[in-house]
Amino acid sequence: MSEFYNNKDEQKISNLIADLKKLPKVEAPENFEFNLMTRIQNENFGQAEEVRPRFNLLKFLAPSAAVLATVVLFFIFYPQQQDIQTQIAEKQSITDTPSIAGNSADKNVESLFSVPQKSTSPEVKSQRPSNIQSVEQNYKPAKQTIEFNPRKSVSVDDYISGANTSPNSGTRNSVVNVGERAIADGFFVEKKADQKTIEKYRHELDSLKKALLKADSLKKARK
Amino acid sequence: MVKRLSDLTDEELIKEYQDNNTLEAYEILVKRYKDPLMNFVYRFLGDRDACTDVVQETMIKFYLNKDSYRSFAKFSTWIYTIAANLAKNELKRRKRRVIFSIDNSDDEKSPQIEDKMFLAPDKSADSEIKSEIIQKALLKVKPVYREVVVLRDIQDLSYEEISEITGLALGTVKSRINRGRIQLQKLLKNIYKE
Repeated sequence: MSEFYNNKDEQKISNLIADLKKLPKVEAPENFEFNLMTRIQNENFGQAEEVRPRFNLLKFLAPSAAVLATVVLFFIFYPQQQDIQTQIAEKQSITDTPSIAGNSADKNVESLFSVPQKSTSPEVKSQRPSNIQSVEQNYKPAKQTIEFNPRKSVSVDDYISGANTSPNSGTRNSVVNVGERAIADGFFVEKKADQKTIEKYRHELDSLKKALLKADSLKKARK
Repeated sequence: MVKRLSDLTDEELIKEYQDNNTLEAYEILVKRYKDPLMNFVYRFLGDRDACTDVVQETMIKFYLNKDSYRSFAKFSTWIYTIAANLAKNELKRRKRRVIFSIDNSDDEKSPQIEDKMFLAPDKSADSEIKSEIIQKALLKVKPVYREVVVLRDIQDLSYEEISEITGLALGTVKSRINRGRIQLQKLLKNIYKE
């Protein structure tokens, strides 16, 4: 049955093809050639003539100049933006927790005093013990921009001559406070605070607080 | 013995025209191809005036770009390719025009074409009417299928030639012809009932 249908379909298609072949042939109008040759002689090519766009230097340069300007601006502003961001970050780290270049004991002291400093009044500041003031005087702000990691960088001349026995002795004892950006190459030596020093300064703080209370009570009494 | 230009093959004539700029060779080629191209373009576009313009443009393109023809190809496929591309462009332009006119004026309606497919079978038996019906049905077939069906079943070109003209693979050409025929047959189901 399906074969019958297939044959039927094929028959229909073959009829269609036969009819398509039998379609009357359309011929060009009589004046076709005359018109064509007239057009050619008059060079009236109309749409057939390819209109090739002339090379326009301005049109060519305008987009390329725009691209070039964008690239240049990008290279000018992008590194500056980065610098600004790093500077802001560094400044923030400095204002939040100042680091002390020196021995670890001084650092611990500074970290201890960093909190009470904010709460105390100017009057209290003047009453600080001399050893605390000396600590404040010894305070040195951290370097703002460190282009090269001193632990990684090696003086080539020293390295060749053999003088560079230790990587960098100057930064060996530097300890970074909380919140400060540290340059670490995979190792970070954490130096714990000396318990005795902490206790010592805690006592000093307590006595200072007591002295302040006494001073306040004396002022009230005078009034 | 020197051959007359009219005795030369298409490829010999185009070479003569390319090498010596012999206008007579060009004219002979125009004479040979104006009618087949007219027939092809008419069956594809369905408009006699537009078809004349397209064939004229084809011949002018041939005149202007004679050097773009390469001798390894058949001249017929080359000229058919030009005509087919121009006909397709014309079709696209018309479609755009139709969309534009519909969008702009609400009063203008698309012209109603009398559908003779629904005429009585005895009437449609008349060959002239039948031809007209087939032409109208052909214009309803998708252009991608219509092009290959016209080239194959009306222009009697080989699959290889159609493949060269359309730039399609041989398999694609065959399947498109088949699909086009089926589509056409469905459109003409009133005629091919039995």
